[in-house]
Amino acid sequence: MYSFYKNINIIGAWLLGFLWLLPLLYAIWASIHPIEYQVKFDLFAPLTLYNFENAWSQAPFARYMFNTFIYVTMTTSCQFILCSLTAFAFARYEFPFKNILFGLVLIQLMINPEIILIENYKTIKFLNLIDTIPAISLPYIASAFGIFVLRQAFKTVPKELDDSARIDGAGALRILWHVYIPLSIPTFLAYGLVSISYHWNNYLWPLIITNSEETRILNVGLAIFSMEESGIEWATISAGTLMVTAPLIIAFIIFQRQFVESFATSGIK
Amino acid sequence: MNIIKLVIISLTVVITSLSVRAIDLEFYFPVAVGGGAAQAIEKFAEDYTKLNPDVNVKAVFTGSYTDTDTKFLTACKSGTAPATSVMIAVTIFKYIDEECVMAWDDILTQDEIDNWIGGFYPAFMANGQVDGKTYGIPFQRSTPVLYYNKDAFRAAGLDPENPPKTWDEQLEVAKKLTIKDSDGNVSQYGIRIPSAGFPYWLFSAIVYGNGGKIMNDNGTETYINSPEAIEALEKLVALSTTEGVMRPGILEWGSTPQAFFEGQTAMMWTTTGNLTNVRNNAPFDWGVAFIPGIKQFGAPVGGGNFYLSIDTTEEEQQATKDFVKWITEPKQSVAWTKATGYVAPRAETWESDEMKEFLKEFPYPAVARDQLEYAGPEFSTYEQPKTVSIFNRALEAAVAGEKDPKTALLEAHAEIDKILKDYR
Repeated sequence: MYSFYKNINIIGAWLLGFLWLLPLLYAIWASIHPIEYQVKFDLFAPLTLYNFENAWSQAPFARYMFNTFIYVTMTTSCQFILCSLTAFAFARYEFPFKNILFGLVLIQLMINPEIILIENYKTIKFLNLIDTIPAISLPYIASAFGIFVLRQAFKTVPKELDDSARIDGAGALRILWHVYIPLSIPTFLAYGLVSISYHWNNYLWPLIITNSEETRILNVGLAIFSMEESGIEWATISAGTLMVTAPLIIAFIIFQRQFVESFATSGIK
Repeated sequence: MNIIKLVIISLTVVITSLSVRAIDLEFYFPVAVGGGAAQAIEKFAEDYTKLNPDVNVKAVFTGSYTDTDTKFLTACKSGTAPATSVMIAVTIFKYIDEECVMAWDDILTQDEIDNWIGGFYPAFMANGQVDGKTYGIPFQRSTPVLYYNKDAFRAAGLDPENPPKTWDEQLEVAKKLTIKDSDGNVSQYGIRIPSAGFPYWLFSAIVYGNGGKIMNDNGTETYINSPEAIEALEKLVALSTTEGVMRPGILEWGSTPQAFFEGQTAMMWTTTGNLTNVRNNAPFDWGVAFIPGIKQFGAPVGGGNFYLSIDTTEEEQQATKDFVKWITEPKQSVAWTKATGYVAPRAETWESDEMKEFLKEFPYPAVARDQLEYAGPEFSTYEQPKTVSIFNRALEAAVAGEKDPKTALLEAHAEIDKILKDYR
């Protein structure tokens, strides 16, 4: 009986996996075949790289790729620093209004970033940072979600380890660095993955705050293929999408095992 | 003596360098059609800057019309709006309401109003003027036309040079073009009028063709409850129900050209913004004709206009004016039509040698131009996003068979009326 259920599980997993993969498989199909074969699935259809050339030539994607890399790295590393410091304070220190302050941080989770678009824009203008890469990152680096998950992770660290480090004369930052962070690596990895994929996919804010080729990111460049009036050219948009998502997909395949393990142990699913 | 000379020289240098400092002219543009629209615009900006070294035109791509709208309003509210922006023509009331745009008339001479503004086709000015003042200069403008597969016409024994002219003729032709296989499945439908996304646009073509109107000029009242509109929707729904010449259900706008290329439909209604796309990708002989009407020819216009930001200095206004005048000149306008299929909005462009040359090898853009004579404005009211979405939902409900056409339109009209009451 057990093996029967196990088989059902396996079949179900494959089926779901296949459904998830379908859009990607279609994008691969559409991007390597001429436009006549977009929905005509003929195994012997001629192959072409024209769609990639065409998509690549419509916007400076190499530059966008570089900008995206800078923006995502900057955002995630700033989040790690700010969030781990804040989470550490909330997890291990007692100070007045602690719960109210933590509540305020959590409220941020409920605010849709689009609502404060104009306010954010005004702040960036005040800082004179419009049309720069830091401007894309800035509104996201004090991430409530990051503070929340890291606080949860730090809370599971045994107090005894903290105490013994303290007895050995370690200061707060040293304890954070040598005790809390090493024990929470899976959470950092999992949170980093969520954050990177979120920022890689971010669209509206980067579109609004940037104006030039030097600051624009991949996803904004991709919008050039949307063409709401004339209809979508699936071949070009598929090729473009594959180019834009390729770095993430390749990174995921390489680090797959680590990602899956870290998700399993961190409890974020 | 020498020192004084030096001071004078350096002062002169400083003063002249200040006076020739180039003005930065930023403008936002959305991309709604394929065929290299973005590259064409960037080339315009580059060419203009080359011709006018004292102006530095910076074209900023801003996504879809909706994205551009959000970006422009955000920038406007924060006091960093670009000097000008290409945005969809029909949201004109919103930009005036938000105090983000000003009338071009305020910076034009009487001569320019008469000759420049007066040179655009009136059909395209309809969505750009409020209370006799011009807020939108036509730029990426389109209108729907009928595309038909000439090979399919020949195969069905129809004359490929004689496309349908009235709704009834269209229906008759569509019946002949609908092909069923031995199992009774349709392998080729006669016609496809897409209904997903923004069905109101093509629907208003049927209403105009039925002698009706969809709204008043001030954007404060709609006529979608009129007998003409109700009959139009009944006829549209009948195509896929009782007549069986169109695929039933909501039909995607974006995949319609693809369905045409693959022979799933022998005729389609879509924008002239697709001319370049169809030209490049249709594997058969095809043609373009006026939208057939129930009583007469009729079609809405569509697309985007140049708006002038309220938040501009006099210097920027003059530079913007010169740039927009330049980009609407015949030479640029022809290049733009060639790249995209948009209808050149000025009569003089169509009389230019470049355009005549182009029409010799590709005559179809002229069909769209000729249809302008029968064209009406696109649906445009105050609170545009809300009213349009109510209108669209009603049309989709009728097409999907959830509501009968009359109830759907009457309900939508009542709902829109509640919103527009405050603006009368």
